[in-house]
Amino acid sequence: MSQQPVLEVRKLRKDYRITGENSLIARTFPAVKEASFSVFPGETFGIVGESGCGKSTVARLVMCLEKPTAGEILFHGQRIDSLPERERRRLRPRFQMVFQDSGSSLNPRKRVEDILREPMLYHGMGSFKQVDARVEELLSMVGLPSDMKRRYPHEFSGGQRQRICIARALSLTPDLVVLDEPVSALDVSVQAQILNLLRDLQEKLKLTYIFIGHGLGAVHYISHRIAVMYMGKIVEMGPSDELFDHPAHPYTRSLLDAAPSADFAGRGRKRVALRGEVDEQAAEGACPLCPRCPCQTAECQRFSGALSPVPGRQDHVSACLKAWEE
Amino acid sequence: MDALLEIKNLNIAFRQGKGFSQVVSGAGFSVQPGEIVSLVGESGSGKSITALSILGLLSRQGKVTGGEILFEGKNLLTLSEQELDQVRGRKIAMIFQDIMYSLNPVFTIGSQMTEGMRRHLGYAKEKAWQEGVRLLQRTGIRDAERVMKKYPHMLSGGMRQRVMIAMALSCQPRLLIADEPTTALDVTIQYQIMQLLRSLRDETGMSILLITHDIGVVAEMADRVVVMYAGQCVEEADTKTLLSHPAHAYTKALLQAVPGLHDERSRRLYSIPGFVPQVYGDLTGCRFASRCPFGESCPGRNNEQMLLCAPGHLSRCVWGEGGGAA
Repeated sequence: MSQQPVLEVRKLRKDYRITGENSLIARTFPAVKEASFSVFPGETFGIVGESGCGKSTVARLVMCLEKPTAGEILFHGQRIDSLPERERRRLRPRFQMVFQDSGSSLNPRKRVEDILREPMLYHGMGSFKQVDARVEELLSMVGLPSDMKRRYPHEFSGGQRQRICIARALSLTPDLVVLDEPVSALDVSVQAQILNLLRDLQEKLKLTYIFIGHGLGAVHYISHRIAVMYMGKIVEMGPSDELFDHPAHPYTRSLLDAAPSADFAGRGRKRVALRGEVDEQAAEGACPLCPRCPCQTAECQRFSGALSPVPGRQDHVSACLKAWEE
Repeated sequence: MDALLEIKNLNIAFRQGKGFSQVVSGAGFSVQPGEIVSLVGESGSGKSITALSILGLLSRQGKVTGGEILFEGKNLLTLSEQELDQVRGRKIAMIFQDIMYSLNPVFTIGSQMTEGMRRHLGYAKEKAWQEGVRLLQRTGIRDAERVMKKYPHMLSGGMRQRVMIAMALSCQPRLLIADEPTTALDVTIQYQIMQLLRSLRDETGMSILLITHDIGVVAEMADRVVVMYAGQCVEEADTKTLLSHPAHAYTKALLQAVPGLHDERSRRLYSIPGFVPQVYGDLTGCRFASRCPFGESCPGRNNEQMLLCAPGHLSRCVWGEGGGAA
């Protein structure tokens, strides 16, 4: 892809100060240790990983809701992480976010029309009347009848609320939409509706998505390229089908193997399983998976965990010394 | 072989305003000794309520308005609180979805682990403690002695779920009711817990009633499946049949709405229009009719019964042959 990326993230790092389980003395916890990736126009970039791997922190950093400890975030080639707030606000309409919990991200005391109107009026998208017409257009775009605009958020089901959140994110005609687990809280049948809606909207409005999730099936369905995160690091990245059909990193492989498949024939297949649980104290600057890895070797102890291209594969990078072999 | 648990024509209603609204109507299924039966459905389908009613754990808002729950031939609904106490935790144990709130935060794991054994089995403190340690080790907790002295908040989600399982097993129950036991967990941990539950079943010969919304978990775990929709059991079959030859239009749609890991990404995900009805006690005929692809023309829209499709395969709908929800 020779196009200029919509978003480029370089060596992103975020430390939090937390107090530990056995002591009240604050220590720093690196939620994101190192993340570098680019997102190109019109594509969906998926980020998967288990809870605590830093995927949501990446989303919040990209949205400038948190300040990175180190690293750069470039939006259309412009640094946004170090911009003064006032200038960043001018750029805001162009990158928007949809959160996981639609219930708590909509103001319960406002009607849907007010919720949708507010960002447009704030950013001066036209007169009250113009904005009002746009509200109806947005609702129909996300598949809600326009007479629902006078209702309050609690009068909607979870799936409908998520549609409202999507409409709000789209109200300012953004280029980039960051979707943080938008379907994780929804039932299967509704999840499929929202995933299809997102795909249709992307096609129609030429949107670029960053889609964060832990449901592997959903992330695969919607993403063109996927990054797998583990303990604050991207451990593997590549085109969706390539990554899922030929995982090179043992963590990706075990994630795929652990995901229950709806196929009865899958029962009893040979699988790679990790031992134990995430060890937060694992040494930095080493392969984070090492203590749990099923295939560690002597060299692994000295391996830094840096990403390198997978031999013989296109656009596929992995942070493992040896590409996975059966 | 006599069924361990048999539920017949169960009706449950919840107080709504001045009257009652029916949330489970005519549910019926059985669990054989040593069998894993999965109760699957989306939120609001009545699956958790059905499970809670087995142990008499419905809140005061709800009541069983009809039917029988036979456990080892005795109707649990007619037992007094005292008699029920002899069954709860002793012969039927339950693990809940909400691992955060299912352990008492002010008591140590050890004191909660031993409580059931001391009460039901009359173990002395020392013996119960040793047994507790052994059970924790069995569920894969390495430093069980130390965990016994910890408080719930000091443990990770996966660890808490293991503690819950160990507690449920402490009195060697005949039936384990597991309400979404892995929903709150990451996939790699979910896989470990599913393996654990299966091997415990093989070891002890207990039955498991597994409540879940995840078709993948069903495919991995269950011997037999009961699908619930809008308060009714709509289909029942062995897992292989249900996944490969579903009869009910809802089951078919549900299976197609799950994005697979290796699906063709260009294929559009099937999504069921509309959403699960919230109030359905007064619906007559097929409760799925309003969302069904066959809709008004379906000859079965007035059907009120489970029909036999094949030996061991029951469904309320047999008309969706061929086309299905495709």
